[in-house]
Amino acid sequence: MERSVWNGLAVFRWVAWMWMATVLVLSRRALERPGIAVGLVAAALLVTVWLTVLVRRDHTQLASPVPVGIEVGVGLSLQLADGFVYRAPHVFEAEQPLGVAWPIAGALAAGVALGPIGGVLTGVVLGLGRAASSLLNAPPIPPGETEWFLGLTASWALSLVTTTVMLAMAGGVGGYVVDLLRRTEARATRAERRVAQAAAREEVARQLHDGVLQTLAVVERRTDDPQLARLARDQEQDLRTYLFGVPDASVVGVGALGDALRHAARRCETHFGIRTEVLVPDDLPEVPGEVIEVLTGAVGEAMTNAAKHAEPARITVYVEPQDGEVFCSVRDDGSGFEVATTPEGVGLSRSIRGRVEEAGGSVEVDSAPGRGTEVRLTVPLDR
Amino acid sequence: MVQQASSRQPPVRVVLADDHPIWRDGVEADLGNGFEVVGMASDADEAIAMIRDTAPDLVVCDLQMPGGGGIAVAKACGEDTRIVILTVSEQERDLLEAVAAGAVGYLTKSTPGDELRDSLVRAARGEPVFSPSLAMLVLGEFRRLSKQSAGTNPLTDREREVLQHVARGYPYKQIGEQLHISPKTVENHVRNILDKLHLNRKQELIRYAVEHGIE
Repeated sequence: MERSVWNGLAVFRWVAWMWMATVLVLSRRALERPGIAVGLVAAALLVTVWLTVLVRRDHTQLASPVPVGIEVGVGLSLQLADGFVYRAPHVFEAEQPLGVAWPIAGALAAGVALGPIGGVLTGVVLGLGRAASSLLNAPPIPPGETEWFLGLTASWALSLVTTTVMLAMAGGVGGYVVDLLRRTEARATRAERRVAQAAAREEVARQLHDGVLQTLAVVERRTDDPQLARLARDQEQDLRTYLFGVPDASVVGVGALGDALRHAARRCETHFGIRTEVLVPDDLPEVPGEVIEVLTGAVGEAMTNAAKHAEPARITVYVEPQDGEVFCSVRDDGSGFEVATTPEGVGLSRSIRGRVEEAGGSVEVDSAPGRGTEVRLTVPLDR
Repeated sequence: MVQQASSRQPPVRVVLADDHPIWRDGVEADLGNGFEVVGMASDADEAIAMIRDTAPDLVVCDLQMPGGGGIAVAKACGEDTRIVILTVSEQERDLLEAVAAGAVGYLTKSTPGDELRDSLVRAARGEPVFSPSLAMLVLGEFRRLSKQSAGTNPLTDREREVLQHVARGYPYKQIGEQLHISPKTVENHVRNILDKLHLNRKQELIRYAVEHGIE
């Protein structure tokens, strides 16, 4: 991208130089110091050639201080030269000046190399060079003609301001556009890289999904060794977490509450060796952090209770969004108990009922001997 | 396969479709007596042809196979054959798609052997194999539908209640006890829910076709 900007600038430099050479030839009779004028235009030609070669060789060098400094220096000299090489009052006679087009390239280059502010400042310096050349070229004030002179000065000052603003704008806009291009390009590159990474990951995921995950499932299903089954299941979940970001593939159950509950369930699985299933739908509204904390704590405690006392084969955690509330059920298929005659244990009343009711929610326990237990929690979303 | 004297019923005739031979052989070995594997297929087209040839009692079909996988098979044969989808992950959206296309349910590949046999026998009898996570997906799907056209939830309250119980991990028998209805009625509700899901998908496809000018 930058290379093409420098290329365009090189072309501009050539056009500007040819314009300047034409002006020099046409105005040769007005020259007072033709040697200096030709020398400066020759220097500008050298700079133009050198910078063109640099674009071809290694365009990154063009933004370094030496080429930019030399180009701006020669440009400034050309601006000043107008007041020095011509006989007065050449500058005031609406003649084509020698150094106006070519120095614009300097302002643009400074903008590209230093950014918009550097470009504006360089433009202002070049514009001031124009003012200085006018002072150098000022004719002696004819006696008694002060009014004529002041009138001339006003229009001349206006034209100086215009030139300065134009140069400053060239530098500023050049810098701004290139900055913008640079940023856009960096963003595009980053995005491309991300897409490529995602594609590679997906390919790996697909391969592993077909191979390793299936094999782990076979191991888990066909072995009589509960430890091996658990190992396979753990590995499967780890791999899934790596591949898909969540232990259970694809979309469902993504979100903070799902993650937190799944984490709690995972702990229960490794600690007690009980299979758990966490079901969190993907249309759950955003659940505030405090509610997540309350629910995760309560669900974890309910799972621990079940694992310790009920000897279940499986625990199911189910979450459902309801009007302004979250409903959450923890059900085990264990031994169950008589709710009416069993006093609530410390674990249940403090850790579950305490937390949930403090958050404005409610707890229900449903159980019967031989039929498992369900703890139902309802917590309002905002309070 | 010779029928054992101990099993009074004729064996369930099964077509197994999965693109992993190791997996097909494993399932076949696990099925044991009571099942007769009449064909094995490794992609959707092969499975569909085989199902038409052999008219099995039950199809056990991998969700992800070359040529469209379980969804293609369920779409082609779901009306005449009972199809159970097998999947590695039970929380994939595609699952809902397969069931909506006409499968009677699904099982995860990690289901232990005896549970697998039991579920497949029930599926062969026509009982929908409805797991908690499928129930959750279906509930979410109907929530989405009722939000789209406000006030018209296609599920009856009783059907939603049944689904919620399945999602919370209750077996049909206990759902019946909790709701004071027979397990058979629970099963009927579940079948109706599947039909509604199926119907809804069809209507959605028609609506889509009409909106997009496809005839």
